[in-house]
Amino acid sequence: MNKLKKYKLPIIYFLLFVGLLFSLFPYIWMVLSSFKVSEEIYTQFIPTKLTFDNYSFLFSGGSGQQRNFLYGIVNSLIVSVIPTISVIFFGVLTAYAFRRLKIMGYKIYENFIIYQMLFPGVLFLVPLFLLMRDWGVINTYTAMILRYLIDPWAIFIYTQFFKTIPESLLESARIDGASEFQIIFKIMLPLSKTTTAIVALFTFMARWSDFLWPLIVNKEYGKMPLSVLLALFTKGGYQQYPGVQMAGATLLTLPIVILFIVFRKYFAKGINFTGLKG
Amino acid sequence: MRTEKARKNIIGYIFSSPFLIFTLVMWLYPFIWGLIISFKKWNLISPSQPWVGLQNYIKVIKDPMLWIMIRNSVYFMLVFISLTTATSLLVALLIKQIPRFKGLFITGFLLAYVSSGVAYSMVFNLLFSGDGMINNFLANFNIKIGWFTNPKIAMASIGLIVCWKFTGYYALFFLSGLNNISESLYEAAKIDGANAWQRFIKITVPMLNPTFVMITVFATITSFNLFTEPFMITGGGPMDATRTMMLEIYNRVFSLLQAGYGSTLAIVSGIITFIFVWVLRQIIERDDIYE
Repeated sequence: MNKLKKYKLPIIYFLLFVGLLFSLFPYIWMVLSSFKVSEEIYTQFIPTKLTFDNYSFLFSGGSGQQRNFLYGIVNSLIVSVIPTISVIFFGVLTAYAFRRLKIMGYKIYENFIIYQMLFPGVLFLVPLFLLMRDWGVINTYTAMILRYLIDPWAIFIYTQFFKTIPESLLESARIDGASEFQIIFKIMLPLSKTTTAIVALFTFMARWSDFLWPLIVNKEYGKMPLSVLLALFTKGGYQQYPGVQMAGATLLTLPIVILFIVFRKYFAKGINFTGLKG
Repeated sequence: MRTEKARKNIIGYIFSSPFLIFTLVMWLYPFIWGLIISFKKWNLISPSQPWVGLQNYIKVIKDPMLWIMIRNSVYFMLVFISLTTATSLLVALLIKQIPRFKGLFITGFLLAYVSSGVAYSMVFNLLFSGDGMINNFLANFNIKIGWFTNPKIAMASIGLIVCWKFTGYYALFFLSGLNNISESLYEAAKIDGANAWQRFIKITVPMLNPTFVMITVFATITSFNLFTEPFMITGGGPMDATRTMMLEIYNRVFSLLQAGYGSTLAIVSGIITFIFVWVLRQIIERDDIYE
């Protein structure tokens, strides 16, 4: 029994380490393959010679077509950063009105938000596309961004946090002559750093990886986010370039992996709320 | 006091008006519109949109494709839920016991979760391809598997790669579930002479019931919304083995321009998801966990 106990911990660490290797293997393979010459991708795990051709191919605009991946990165940033800022701004504003100003019917609105989050997104795909078409914004950034500017999930988690802030703090600010707007951005927002980090992290990741919506509403290569550009590139006759594919996949993955590692401590805190995120 | 309340109400409504307007325009209006289109025959372009009553619904239900897609999704769910529950529970149980490097392992396992659908589909498509790394390795044992080309296992392969993505994420839920189990329960069971396996079955599993329920619900919704993986890897094939509702809606509406039919399919898909979630909760959820 004692002997078993002695080896228990090393075995657990070993098992976890092996599991982690399995889990990280696709990433490792992806990054290594992006620096391989074509012949070695399927045959060699560790490349014998490194090449940057795959990356330069991506950035040269790929055989003369207007498929510049540099634009793709910029477009991805546009469709990710703008919704992230907007979701935070309107999230704080609305949650404050519901939870702290307690506007008439706020309980109904708060319950409604939960129903909204649970609603299957598939129901909105076609009519939202038609709405974008009627407004004449197909093939624009507006179409890709508009529907993501406000997120009930963000309002929900801000209301959860705002519950915990004592009213006396707000009252004393009001006596000092602060407007409600100032209270939100000078008191509430700085107090909710953790919540804001969670909202920012999850919103940015979701938008950066989003695929179906930008695929539907935009057909112009120059405006495509990286995910769509890469998908069409892969499916559109470039199958014979696995190295280039992996270079593109690395470009798409790397930013969110870095972001996740930097903000990892917020991830675990946010996870209790993410279940409700569609 | 009354005026203070009125003041807050007015300011509050000004603050929340963007949300309220947004919800009306981008949520309620499209939702109703979607319902209306499902009762029409329309090709997205033509000005004529005749009402056809329940015709689209009857067509959807009579279409053998619907049952193929349900079968595919159920197959995916079986593979995905059982695999992912096993792997993530195992990871959580192991991480729970280690005194150091907990955060490091959690972060490591979560890296798969943040990968974007397009990117990891491409990676696995190459890894699992006919002459890819995995088959090259298996060739040592004279095994060759058509991961995405054999209709019998293509959907299971997609279940496998989605399991790769979600293991760390679900492990985090299991870990927080495990941390909520009071140590005194285990102590009492030990005194009563229960061995490790009995403690796991009689205490851990029932106490994790809320986590099981949550994961099953997420997994069900995931399986009916599956799009990027089959779109990128199989395109719904081989022989419709990986065709999902989402993929079919996309094809119907945006390739074949059948807006009415596609909208109907979306609503049917929403209803089916709801039914599955409800039934699975009835089966799995327990109210009478030990107090």
